[in-house]
Amino acid sequence: ENMIGIRRFIQPLLGFHTSAVQCAEPMKKKKKMDPSIIRHREQRKMKRIERSIRKLERVERPLKPLDETQIPLSLKYEIPIRQRQLQPISQDIELSQRELLVAWSHHKQKEAERDLACIRKLLDAQGKALKELKLESEELYIEATQLDLSLLPYKAVGPTRTPQIKGYDPPDGDYIDVSRKWE
Amino acid sequence: MALPRTCINLSRLTSTSDKICMRLSSFASTQTAKEKWDLLSAVCLERKPVIARNLLPIEKEVLSMAQKMEYRLSLKSDHEIQLEKDRQRQERIKQGDADDSDMDQASLNSAQDFEDASVEELSKFPFADRITEADKEKDQKSLDRMLDRHLLLVVRQKLGTSSVWILPQGQRQEGETMRQAAERVLAESFDGKVQSRFLGNAPCGFYKYKYPKHIREQDGNSIGAKVFFFKAHVTSDSPLKKGSCIEDFAWLGRDELDSYLPEKYRKSVTEFLIDED
Repeated sequence: ENMIGIRRFIQPLLGFHTSAVQCAEPMKKKKKMDPSIIRHREQRKMKRIERSIRKLERVERPLKPLDETQIPLSLKYEIPIRQRQLQPISQDIELSQRELLVAWSHHKQKEAERDLACIRKLLDAQGKALKELKLESEELYIEATQLDLSLLPYKAVGPTRTPQIKGYDPPDGDYIDVSRKWE
Repeated sequence: MALPRTCINLSRLTSTSDKICMRLSSFASTQTAKEKWDLLSAVCLERKPVIARNLLPIEKEVLSMAQKMEYRLSLKSDHEIQLEKDRQRQERIKQGDADDSDMDQASLNSAQDFEDASVEELSKFPFADRITEADKEKDQKSLDRMLDRHLLLVVRQKLGTSSVWILPQGQRQEGETMRQAAERVLAESFDGKVQSRFLGNAPCGFYKYKYPKHIREQDGNSIGAKVFFFKAHVTSDSPLKKGSCIEDFAWLGRDELDSYLPEKYRKSVTEFLIDED
């Protein structure tokens, strides 16, 4: 009798244990959403994203900087097709080419020497003029050695092969630079 | 003329005329009174070359050699590949291999046609002549002459009793700097504004000459004139109209200066002009 009584006591107590401290409450039961409302919300999200994509596409995409451009990979496989099959240069022609390059280097050296001599001559002439001006009058000399900032930035357009055609009317029209300027 | 001590540094002397000047002035350094010289400003107005010079024979040879080398080292362009394909297709059509179903392309020989059309357009384009009418007529008042060389403005002015061909010059007035005097001289020599750009405040060259004896010996007169040259570029090609201060003007190339400018003057002037071969 007593054993039966104790068994009734102990069995539930055998299963008694404590769990670790959770510092939390058990999960709340999730309420089931109305599927039409879920669909509606997702559709709205999609629309918002698509709208922003369209806005970005409308704005002109900035060009990739040249440093970041890559050679298209397709060209790598086209090299054998694009190589030229040419006869190797004959000895005579190669010799004449080398002689020509030597003559060219002499020519350019002489040209450089002439240019430097000319620059030296111009600087000497200016130095002499300034010296004479200083002898004459100190104030005029000081005025002459002032920087002329209207010359900076200096821009010079180099000579072309043929001169400008007088009164030329370009068939495409004239280019008018409308790029924005920030001062 | 009293010389400051800095001028006696021999390493700074570069031209013989300078050395002669030094020796002469060392004799004259015993003079205590400073000589009176008139200060004049002159304008060296130049029209820079508009077109490039013709290539020298060696330059032409090297250019053709470089082009051949570049051709050898290069790869074929898309246009060349297309030309080859077209040629191959044409041959296959001749031999009857290929069927004309490839005719859906806009034009079969498009690459060759395109090249021919481009070459024709270039040959028909009316480039302006390098040798202009002014060259042929030898019009020395025109700025259109000798487009591949420098043109220097030279005027005929009355100095004392005689007229000489010189660069436009005039005396500096009170309260002016030398550069302002040069700009004024240019403005007074011609009617209307001369579109020019002066290259800085410093003179580029120097020339001095003594007046004839009878003028020098009069009391209160200067011994001579010191001319300071200022360089300028002419920026417009509209023709100039001479003013009242000058008798005549001309735009001259380097080799024409001999016959116009006096000998000593020309030597001083070529010191500050860029050499042309």
